[in-house]
Amino acid sequence: MSWHVDAPLLRRYLAGDTDLAAALSIEAHVSGCGACRALLPDDPAWLEDSWSGVADRVIVAQRGPMERLLVRVGVGTPSARLLAATPSLRRSWWAAVVAALAFTVAAAHAAAGDDRGLLLFLALAPLLPVAGVAVAYGPLADPVHELTVGAPMSGLRLLLIRAAAVLCTTVGLALLALPLLPALSWTAAGWLLPALALTTVSLVLGSWLSPVRASAAVTAVWLGLVALVAVPGADALMLFRAGAQAWFAALLGAAGALLLARRGSFDVGGGR
Amino acid sequence: MNEPTVEINGLGRRFGRLRALDDVSFSLDDGITGLLGPNGAGKTTMLRCLATVETPDTGRLRILRRDPGRVSERTEIRRRLGYLPQEPGFYPNFTAYDFLDYLAVLKELVDDGQRRREVRRVLDAVDLGDRAMTKIRKLSGGMRRRLALAQALLADPQLLILDEPTTGLDPGQRLRFRDLVSRLGEDRTVLLSTHQTEDVAALCERVIVMDRGRVLFDGPPRGLAETARGSVWLAEQRPAGGGVTWRNADGRYRTIGDPPAGAELADPTIEDGYLLLVGDAALADVA
Ligand SMILES: Nc1ncnc2c1ncn2[C@@H]1O[C@H](COP(=O)(O)OP(=O)(O)O)[C@@H](O)[C@H]1O
Ligand SMILES: [Mg+2]
Repeated sequence: MSWHVDAPLLRRYLAGDTDLAAALSIEAHVSGCGACRALLPDDPAWLEDSWSGVADRVIVAQRGPMERLLVRVGVGTPSARLLAATPSLRRSWWAAVVAALAFTVAAAHAAAGDDRGLLLFLALAPLLPVAGVAVAYGPLADPVHELTVGAPMSGLRLLLIRAAAVLCTTVGLALLALPLLPALSWTAAGWLLPALALTTVSLVLGSWLSPVRASAAVTAVWLGLVALVAVPGADALMLFRAGAQAWFAALLGAAGALLLARRGSFDVGGGR
Repeated sequence: MNEPTVEINGLGRRFGRLRALDDVSFSLDDGITGLLGPNGAGKTTMLRCLATVETPDTGRLRILRRDPGRVSERTEIRRRLGYLPQEPGFYPNFTAYDFLDYLAVLKELVDDGQRRREVRRVLDAVDLGDRAMTKIRKLSGGMRRRLALAQALLADPQLLILDEPTTGLDPGQRLRFRDLVSRLGEDRTVLLSTHQTEDVAALCERVIVMDRGRVLFDGPPRGLAETARGSVWLAEQRPAGGGVTWRNADGRYRTIGDPPAGAELADPTIEDGYLLLVGDAALADVA
């Protein structure tokens, strides 16, 4: 044996504070080294507990790539656990988002020169997180909803964690699509604030309506606005220029405040 | 005098014109109480109110000496409450361990080591220790029921609300379930719903019979059996006419209701009392 378990390491191991690799190599070493084994408590219950502790850390280390990545970038393991259970973050959802973005980017190229080609992309991008949030929580989307609302953790906190996960992924994908657009200007990023504002508004509405209905209502109003600016002669990109951005910022602030005021409503049942 | 664990006073809940709960009152303390009633009696609605996921329209509700209508007190209740819904729902791609780990986070067990020990403890309590790594979609129906029960035990709750916990368990699992729950009931309050009188007879020191949103009986199981004394008959021949009659194991005909000709009185069981009490609704359930 080239090394032995030193006192500080042993203390941390006994307290269950070593990382998985260290714990495994200590166990391997101890099984072949009588001197170190003698340092361990001679208590079957402790040994049993220590073994299952290592086994459980193996389980945690085998979780999906997203959860491991989240833990590595500093999100705590409990929050990573909550994020991993977000119902909408599945492969089918990623595929739908990518397909929708690809379609609108292609349309923007096909209509090069006409602002309305770009409008299609700009109108769609804010709706992606709105749709994603609709299928991220609630009695229809989440099979474990009943247990979730009955848990002491605040419903709004879980909702915000999930909404943030959906926002980050969809907004991230839409940002990746930006350089693929034909003519790049600041206006092309004008969907970001509407995306945040519309998502927050649909979260608030979700405290009265079901999440799906709330998203449908927001989507309908947004598409109505888009139809108004898409008529020939109007400025097709009006909603995405500086003037309109101030309105979306105000809407975002108001909806955010209302969401906090309505937080209690995310903690009770809402049907079966 | 000490306030009981659960105090329900004139509770009402409507869905449209239907009264799912109609002026329900009772209180609970340590021990195991069975909520017995046919389908649609309002058991699940009652238990959801106690689990703080349903809000009653009328009446007064105190749970663990707190008011579930206030947000901060409701959170305190939820920290001390274990709830097994009738249809709990799962993430099929999670392992049993990961599912419990997730729900343990929701129960505010944020310390990794503490959560790990707690998940292990409840897995072992329901005999699923060797299935920790199995994906839920590969677990049998009975194992899923036990997994759902395990999550209700997280954080060692003082009040356990179990909605039809024995549905889908085979006789062996049912026996182990009784063993577990009777031990739990020694120092905490357990309320379980069922439509099976055997569960009540085997497990509960108190039974509350509900039908159509109302409480019809509240007392010890023996008392429920006694309500049928004088109405249960045994005869050598199948009697003509009304009442429910079936042929029992020793070949005699057992009738509940009016006495058939030439029949003698029999000792009533809990089931007799229950059938007599809820009458048509339960008989429709049997049919
Ligand atoms: N969310 C709901 N919306 C409408 N009706 C409901 C709802 N929940 C329960 N009910 C009705 O209330 C009655 C009692 O149901 P429930 O509490 O599930 O009874 P049990 O659990 O005893 O079978 C039933 O008639 C049921 O259809
Ligand atoms: Mg029910």
